[in-house]
Amino acid sequence: MSADDLLARLRGFVGAQGPVQVARHPVSAPAIADWCDAMGDGNPVYTDADLAAKSRHGGLVAPPATLDIWDRPGLPAQARFRPVAKAPADDPRSKVMRLLEEAGFVGVVAVNSELEIARYLRPGDRLQNVQLLEDVSEEKKTALGIGHFVTTRHRYTTADGEHVGDLLFRILKFRPGTGAAPPSMEGARPAPDPAPSLRPRPGINRDNQSLFDGYRAHELRIPRCQVCGATFFPPTPRCATCGAFDIGYTIGAGRGTLYSFNVVHHPQVGGFRYPLPVGLVELEEGPRIVADLVGVEADQLQIGMPLEVEWLDSHPALVEGATDSRGPISVPQFRPATPRRREETLSAATVQDGDRLPLWVLPVVPTQIVAGALATRDFQDVHHDRDLALQKGSKDIFFNINTSLGLMERYVTDWTGPEAVVTALRVRLGAPAYPYLPLTFAGSVQTVDADTGRAVVAVQATNELGPHVTGTVELELAP
Amino acid sequence: MTRHTYAGQAAIVGIGATEFSKSSGRSELQLALEACAAACADAGVEPAEVNGLSTFTMETNPESEIMRGLGIPELTHFSRIHFGGGAPCATVQQAAMAVASGVADYVICYRAFNERSGRRFGSGVQDRPAGATAEEAQFAWTSPHGLLTPASWVAMFATRMMHEYGVTSEDFGRVAVADRRHAATNPAAHFYGQPITLEDHQASRWIVEPLHLLDCCQETDGGQAMLVTTVERARDLRQPMAVIEAAAQGMADDQHMMRSFFRDSIVGLPEMGTCARQIWETSGLGPDDVATAVLYDHFTPFVLAQLEEFGFCGPGEAKDFIAEGAIEVGGRLPINTHGGQLGEAYLHGMNGIAEGVRQVRGTSVNQVEGAEHVLVTGGTGVPTSALMVGAYR
Repeated sequence: MSADDLLARLRGFVGAQGPVQVARHPVSAPAIADWCDAMGDGNPVYTDADLAAKSRHGGLVAPPATLDIWDRPGLPAQARFRPVAKAPADDPRSKVMRLLEEAGFVGVVAVNSELEIARYLRPGDRLQNVQLLEDVSEEKKTALGIGHFVTTRHRYTTADGEHVGDLLFRILKFRPGTGAAPPSMEGARPAPDPAPSLRPRPGINRDNQSLFDGYRAHELRIPRCQVCGATFFPPTPRCATCGAFDIGYTIGAGRGTLYSFNVVHHPQVGGFRYPLPVGLVELEEGPRIVADLVGVEADQLQIGMPLEVEWLDSHPALVEGATDSRGPISVPQFRPATPRRREETLSAATVQDGDRLPLWVLPVVPTQIVAGALATRDFQDVHHDRDLALQKGSKDIFFNINTSLGLMERYVTDWTGPEAVVTALRVRLGAPAYPYLPLTFAGSVQTVDADTGRAVVAVQATNELGPHVTGTVELELAP
Repeated sequence: MTRHTYAGQAAIVGIGATEFSKSSGRSELQLALEACAAACADAGVEPAEVNGLSTFTMETNPESEIMRGLGIPELTHFSRIHFGGGAPCATVQQAAMAVASGVADYVICYRAFNERSGRRFGSGVQDRPAGATAEEAQFAWTSPHGLLTPASWVAMFATRMMHEYGVTSEDFGRVAVADRRHAATNPAAHFYGQPITLEDHQASRWIVEPLHLLDCCQETDGGQAMLVTTVERARDLRQPMAVIEAAAQGMADDQHMMRSFFRDSIVGLPEMGTCARQIWETSGLGPDDVATAVLYDHFTPFVLAQLEEFGFCGPGEAKDFIAEGAIEVGGRLPINTHGGQLGEAYLHGMNGIAEGVRQVRGTSVNQVEGAEHVLVTGGTGVPTSALMVGAYR
């Protein structure tokens, strides 16, 4: 079949409506609680019936990012594992997908998701949706490969016909292996090996041994005079305050603020990733220390930003059992402090265009990817089975779009406080969110109207591969 | 008020240097001997009359080899100053104290290296083994985190300075523009005939943000030496003398080697403030008496801090002081008229002392009118030194 013939057949479905898709079960408190656990969302209006009853919602509600999860069909049949038999889907998108797969476009990624919320769902609501196939693009060259974008709209109602929201969803079906070749490295100097064991080892002696012993145990020890209690850094054998030679330590809480920073570009040596942001961190306990800044881009650094420690086990022991410069080395690094969830809902009057949200660095781990996929009732194998994900050309399992959307919602509503009402979530997906690549959320207020309380917050979540999610959250703040 | 008693009793009577290059093609010892011999020849003093030497602890050419190569029969004074680029003016102070006290008659201050074709300072300390002496162990607080070069240490101060004082990268760039303008008319400068614009500075690549390439000094092969003796002997020598009106060393509270990150405030250079106090008290001069200065410029941000520490302007005001060409020839305080270490050569500040002498003699390629007293400073961010030289009257 020629490309033109294929496109004509695909486009034959444009404008077609699917059958009414009815959720098998009503919106339920246990499923909401699982979703909140997976996203780490502590907003009480989702899980605390007493608090929710006193809120503007008058009772428990479902997180708005869950709009499109309730009528999903559940675990599909597997090659070696048969759950309950289900009829094959006969909606127009499924038909278009089958045609594309037969033509070799077997790769799939979600590209856009735009949720518009008419009202928050409540436990007991039984959801249904009608799909409209809006568009199939002509053949496009993309970074992933040659493919077609398939766009659908979904109108969500309750069983008794009340309109609760809409979804615009766009996916790319592509031919694996037809993407852009990686840029030529000819003439470019290869990046140095970032393996941390290539870093210079610290010189450990009797004056600083105690600190490095602490670092090995992931204790942020701060030298402290045992006689007068003065703390200082770096260590020295005599207390300059009282003259005592009795120096011990106190264990820092691992929190601080950024006092100064720089970003190293040249020269580049083994053991580090460049550009390398390095901070001068003022610890809560007073002294300052130097440490690498992780989960944060150079242009996101601001003096005064709150930070928290994480540990890098940089060097294995050169000599088994050694506790000096030849022993194992761990060093502190700092990431933006995890923002606290606001208890009182933010008033629009206190927010201005351009206000920045605090950065949030999420250490992505496999369990969260799997938990997020299951809590959003997404059983695609690439989100829970690493072997199959590799077979399909991925580097590992990765966040499904609903998890990314849910985390973005949590990020913004943690900042607004519990009673902000989300009216729309719009995202474009980019780089995959793989395990062990910290994902950094950054946001800023695009517009805010003090009279209506309406605000739009722009959000981007980025890992070392690039922007993972770029989007906006539209909401109503407290007036 | 304390006045150093040797002040005014000693003078620099000879200066000598090799060419400044990126690849000298000869040994560091040969560069040192060429520079020392040239300084003696400039003064009209036989090397055999020299009986004192002063240099840096970082210098690789020992006094014994200099002595042997110059044919010096006897040394009564040899001293070294620690902390890298902080040493230059202190070697002159050593010489002045030695000749004023009678410990020596003629003292050569010297520094020579193949710092571009040999061991490059800009490549940092990453290849050093993890020694654990009290000095080596200090690297433990920065090297494992990737701060391995002078640029990476200085940039940490620069960011805080920008934050507290509203200084911009363009303000740093004005120092580079001034240096390169002066180098452009100095045939001895590496960047002779190559001035830059502020746009060039801004477009140059990052080394360590917020420092661009053009905020950083060069790396150079070369040697520089100065001959010091008493004012009394200097009267009979061939060159107009540059009287050592004051010289000073300085360290200040919670001092570290270019990494004094742990002080209450990191926007100033208190060790240079220690030098400034001694220089003004000893010389009896003030900022208004100084028509030109050679301010150590391994990286541009600390030039601003030096202007403040010496009181040419108030804290945080250097960015305004240097606006509109004030530090270029024709301005209020032309600095680094030889082109500085960004424009002429990086000789650990020793070439700056030679320029101070030329200004006093009236022989600079960018001569400043009324340059009766010239301030010269040593390395910044490190334990340091400073010098005031002036015409003999």
